[in-house]
Amino acid sequence: MNNFIILVAFYAVLGTAIAIYARGARTHEEYFVGGRKISGIVSALTYASTTYSAFMMVGLVGLSYATGVGALGFELMYLIGTLFLLSYYAPKVWELGRKKGFISPAELIGAKYGELTAKISAIVALVALIPYTSIQLIGVALILEKNAELSFSTGILIAAILIALWAFIGGLRGVAWTDAIQGLFMLLAAFLAITWVSLKVDLSAISKLDGLLYVPNKIWTPKFFAALTVPWFFFALTNPQVFQRLFIPRDKRALRKMIIYFGLFGLIYTVLVTLLGLELRIMTIENNFPFVTDRDKVTPNLLAIMPSWLSLLVALSILAAAITTANSIILTLSSMVSRDIVKGSVLVGRLTVILLTAFVAIFAIQRVSYIVELAVLSSTILLCYLPLIIGIFHFNFGGKATGVSTIVIGFTAAIVLFYLKIDPFGIPVSVFVFFLTFFTFFLVGFVERKTTPKS
Amino acid sequence: MRWITCILVVLIMLLPFVAIRSEDLGTYFYWVVVTTAFLIYTAIDTKRWENE
Repeated sequence: MNNFIILVAFYAVLGTAIAIYARGARTHEEYFVGGRKISGIVSALTYASTTYSAFMMVGLVGLSYATGVGALGFELMYLIGTLFLLSYYAPKVWELGRKKGFISPAELIGAKYGELTAKISAIVALVALIPYTSIQLIGVALILEKNAELSFSTGILIAAILIALWAFIGGLRGVAWTDAIQGLFMLLAAFLAITWVSLKVDLSAISKLDGLLYVPNKIWTPKFFAALTVPWFFFALTNPQVFQRLFIPRDKRALRKMIIYFGLFGLIYTVLVTLLGLELRIMTIENNFPFVTDRDKVTPNLLAIMPSWLSLLVALSILAAAITTANSIILTLSSMVSRDIVKGSVLVGRLTVILLTAFVAIFAIQRVSYIVELAVLSSTILLCYLPLIIGIFHFNFGGKATGVSTIVIGFTAAIVLFYLKIDPFGIPVSVFVFFLTFFTFFLVGFVERKTTPKS
Repeated sequence: MRWITCILVVLIMLLPFVAIRSEDLGTYFYWVVVTTAFLIYTAIDTKRWENE
């Protein structure tokens, strides 16, 4: 039997055993936020595994290879933003979650801006995150196709079963525990990969990278840097799958551990991955690695020249990164559907996990061209939550009209501008949507305050 | 105050765009050092949560 199939089978059995051990959730609180009793270390690792998808070992390696150190700056800017937002807002969100019993991220928004806003928030999350999750499944299927010689549709089926099964059985606790182990494995695989490559590279030849070693260069212009950085800087508040993780630590000590250990994980993982990209570029210059024009093909080319045991481990780590991100998103979306849209029991939540996974798998199997574009757009679409979440903690105005208009205008602008490929006034779409949502929030909030009779 | 700290750190992170143009790993190490320093600052700043 193919070695990779054996490895994936072992991975599937281990993950399923953990999910079975974690089963037993009877309430929404237990199923979706682990009864708010998750330890600091597990919270940190599930936060990291949810955040860092297959993009790291595939996309970011390729981005560093093709564009240089700017890729590190962009990714660390995200980390700085996340550390700041978590250290400032996480305790407030965590306390509100306990006090008011919030489980879905949209419930926090709904408490201030009304139930309709919560419903629309949930729908926007579905639209933004289903294509993004489909991309993760496509990634898993491509890895299985290449390494296990399985057909693309069989790969999608295996990925969908793994995603739905662990979330269905174990809920958040199952997902968090499997995330924790996979997170450590992702880090280990990245470390082994960089060690193997470093032994083949003469780092003293680094100056040959020339324009790739500084910013701005041909690719990393201030405008390009801002376009990528703005939506990612606020990721911790705008993406529901990570926002919901602020509800799960068992106490403030665990919450602090979650933030610090996540930061440490993120820093190490980012350094390993970007250094890998730069070292491969040096190898290319020294004719030890082929010149790769499609940056998403850099890691597959690396896997092809690695010893097979290492190649299989790195491929499995990419698969794990995709699965951990996808099942966390599915679980969060299912909490939003079953708490904010249909308001059902835990059984409804579990069935929603299956339904959403099936929907994502169908979307992935079709491989329609706009999936990639929508996935890229997801973080810009989700920016429409930002003023509302910040407004909860800083402004005493804003109600239903403010909530609905901010989300609808931000969402519509992101979609329309992206598809028309227009940068209004030369401003990148993400930056424009950022300012537009805040402008809408303040304008409608001000009018709503003036027109609403005081109770 | 925290937002001011954040803006300050963002400006420090953007410094390579105007001030560093070395053809070695200078920019790379600079960004790693700034992020590490901010992580340490966050760890110290949030230490009080342990007593809350």
